Amino acid sequence: MVVLNFTLTPEAASKVHDLLVCLGKFSETVAIEARRERFTFTALNSSKSAYCAVTLDGKQFFRQYECIPDAGGTDGRFSCSMYTRALLSVFKGRLYDPLGRDGAVERCEVSLQDQDNEAYCRFIIKMVCNQGVTKTYKLTYEAVDVMHALFDRSVAQNRWSMHSGATREYIEYFGTKTELLDIFTGEDGRCVFKSYTEKISDGKEILKHPLVTAVAVNTSDFEYFNVQAGLHIVISVKDFKAIVLHADTLKTSLKAYYSQPTRPLQFSYGCDGLVAEFTLMTSGDYTGAPPTPTPAPQQHTATPQQSRQASHSPSAASERTDMRSMRSEMPPPVQPASRRDQNGRLRNPGSRQPSSAPSQSQTVPPQAEPEDEESLFVPHNDTRMQEEEDAAWAPMDYDKEETLGWDASADHDAAVFPTFRDSGSMSRTTTTDSNMVIEPTQRLSEITGLW
Amino acid sequence: MRFKAQIQNISTFTKLTASLNSLGPLAWVKLSEEQVCFTIIPEQGTQVWAVLSIDAIFETISVQSAANNVINLEVPLISLNRALKSALNATSAQIRLTKKDNMPMLALTIVTTTSSNSYSAFPTAGPNNDDGFDAPFDNAFGGNRETVVTQEIPVRVLPPDTVANLHEPQTREPDVHIILPPLMQLKSISDRFTKLALADTKSGPGTTASRTRLEVAANMHGCLKMSIKTDAMSISSVWTDLSNPELDPAQISGGVTGLADHPSTRMKQLGSADGRSEEGWATVRIDGRDWGKVMSVGRLGGRVIACFCHEHALILYVYLPNDNGDDESVLTVRVRFLTLDTRAEADISTVLRQFVQRMMQDQVVYRLSANHE
Repeated sequence: MVVLNFTLTPEAASKVHDLLVCLGKFSETVAIEARRERFTFTALNSSKSAYCAVTLDGKQFFRQYECIPDAGGTDGRFSCSMYTRALLSVFKGRLYDPLGRDGAVERCEVSLQDQDNEAYCRFIIKMVCNQGVTKTYKLTYEAVDVMHALFDRSVAQNRWSMHSGATREYIEYFGTKTELLDIFTGEDGRCVFKSYTEKISDGKEILKHPLVTAVAVNTSDFEYFNVQAGLHIVISVKDFKAIVLHADTLKTSLKAYYSQPTRPLQFSYGCDGLVAEFTLMTSGDYTGAPPTPTPAPQQHTATPQQSRQASHSPSAASERTDMRSMRSEMPPPVQPASRRDQNGRLRNPGSRQPSSAPSQSQTVPPQAEPEDEESLFVPHNDTRMQEEEDAAWAPMDYDKEETLGWDASADHDAAVFPTFRDSGSMSRTTTTDSNMVIEPTQRLSEITGLW
Repeated sequence: MRFKAQIQNISTFTKLTASLNSLGPLAWVKLSEEQVCFTIIPEQGTQVWAVLSIDAIFETISVQSAANNVINLEVPLISLNRALKSALNATSAQIRLTKKDNMPMLALTIVTTTSSNSYSAFPTAGPNNDDGFDAPFDNAFGGNRETVVTQEIPVRVLPPDTVANLHEPQTREPDVHIILPPLMQLKSISDRFTKLALADTKSGPGTTASRTRLEVAANMHGCLKMSIKTDAMSISSVWTDLSNPELDPAQISGGVTGLADHPSTRMKQLGSADGRSEEGWATVRIDGRDWGKVMSVGRLGGRVIACFCHEHALILYVYLPNDNGDDESVLTVRVRFLTLDTRAEADISTVLRQFVQRMMQDQVVYRLSANHE
């Protein structure tokens, strides 16, 4: 019998929302692993090229946390998998209302109903709101074994750290349809983030080629930067954007750890009892990097890292071939840490671990990005304002379903501000998902620039 | 072939490309050291002929080519617009023509001095800012970050002979010219009209173009009328008290006598300022969806003069806001008008159908008089 009970503050519940939005960009299911001391959300994308784990500390993140797993003593755990969308419909955006208006959530109580004498196993989430309202949600889950991607930071000598706000600025420069991101460290004290797409074809198609965007950043703008010069490492732009956007909700520093192309890269960040780790597959030009890596010349901070890299680098070239042959007969990943060295590769963990979660199999279709609920609101931010204005001037999409007629359903959620729809912004109002409940949380007086 | 320019007015350039992008995906851009021309000639739809003086968008420009120092490019507007958007907060932006892997492209180099305020003004653990003297702090610790963003826009270089025969079409002198009311207002009303027309006749006959046919009319007494008619409804909006700018005799062939014979002078004799008279209107029929796209030029915020040639053409002149009044940049937007033939055909069938329906409903005999309208 598993006991799992915890209570969240509204702030923490809203952080759960943010992390679910982020994980939802990788997979449509999210796996949950509860241990005595901590609670972890994990997601693995359908191509198994990206693994995300967000760990919440039992003492720090939760107001109250209790987990007594079935068996296994200190290493015991309860794990299950749920639809990200289902969880998101409970952990909605804007759970945290600093003004504490009517209907604001006071606390969120979660318990697990997994008793033998109960008819159903359910995840029960109670949102206790002020004025005596309690919303109770019972969610189904699937008991699965959770798979973890392993990453050994000790072999990832290339590291940098940067404030998420700065990286957020950089991703906004990227074109919309690009696929890949090349992180290149030049010899000139600059690090270049380049978003691009592999060539499609020639001729007329050239003009359909997406933008190639290169953002050159002084390495001094990083909080910490220690990367071998000349190294190109390529990851997916979409993954990077999802990670940066989430890191930015926490206003924290984003740290990257990597060794070389085709070996995994890890992004990590966290604060207040939340630690997020994303292990991503990389590609890139192997030969692009100097064969014998020079101990990076332009470091600004001398750290133990540097000496480690220096001692490691002379053998790197020969080591690489060793590792390649070793990979083919690599042991299953769930192994004591001592045996995991240099094998944190994530190419295809599923094939090596037959007990992998069925819900995360290859057949899972790529998840469409969840709707940005914020877009319903008129932001105070300048760039958003600009976009609003652009949308108003853009030609209307008449093919979108918007008919004028009798609404007998008595469901008026979609028309909170009917005047909005009459003043030219209707193409946006109608894009909201019909099964999403929209609450009027912004006052008309807060809105400027629409009329 | 060399082209290099420093962009001065990024905001105008961005709005211009956004407006053009609504009207067509590709623009023919003709660069010379005197002016820049953006032209959109879609297979179907609205043409744009924009002539911009260099200083409307560029600060310095250098154009060199074997063909009289003129370069013709085909540019995907969506990419150009996207690239320019990232330059909105730039300290400097430069655009130049380059080649990469033998593919021509416009490279936009943007230098931004990131105000570190944007993220470090709210440090996670920073009590440094509560006195408001955060500027020296920022400068000392990583303020003044210079980031260089390069955006590469794929383009096609057009040989001079492929564009040699493209000229702006000539139209006769307009019957009515009028300054349009704020385009946002116009757009929201016409969008609503179009939407209603589409909803009403989803199963009706005729092409979509004939269903969303918007009738736009203006007179020389400051009135603009926009109307749409379908089987089930007829709606129209009338604006009054708009202004009809005076023509400058010097700009008209024939001078003062030319002005006296000008079609608009004759139109002035007809109609009234309250918009109720049936006379004096110059009318054109356009596709409501085309019109919705055209309205997107409103984001430029300039004065828009509409020239109506009755039953023939509608041309909008969009003047870019400029400090010195004399050398204005102008966008000429030729709205696609629907030809008389398809209109007449659609009208007759509509009238007939209405007639039969009413007969069946009311048992009343109507006299059918179907002329062209």
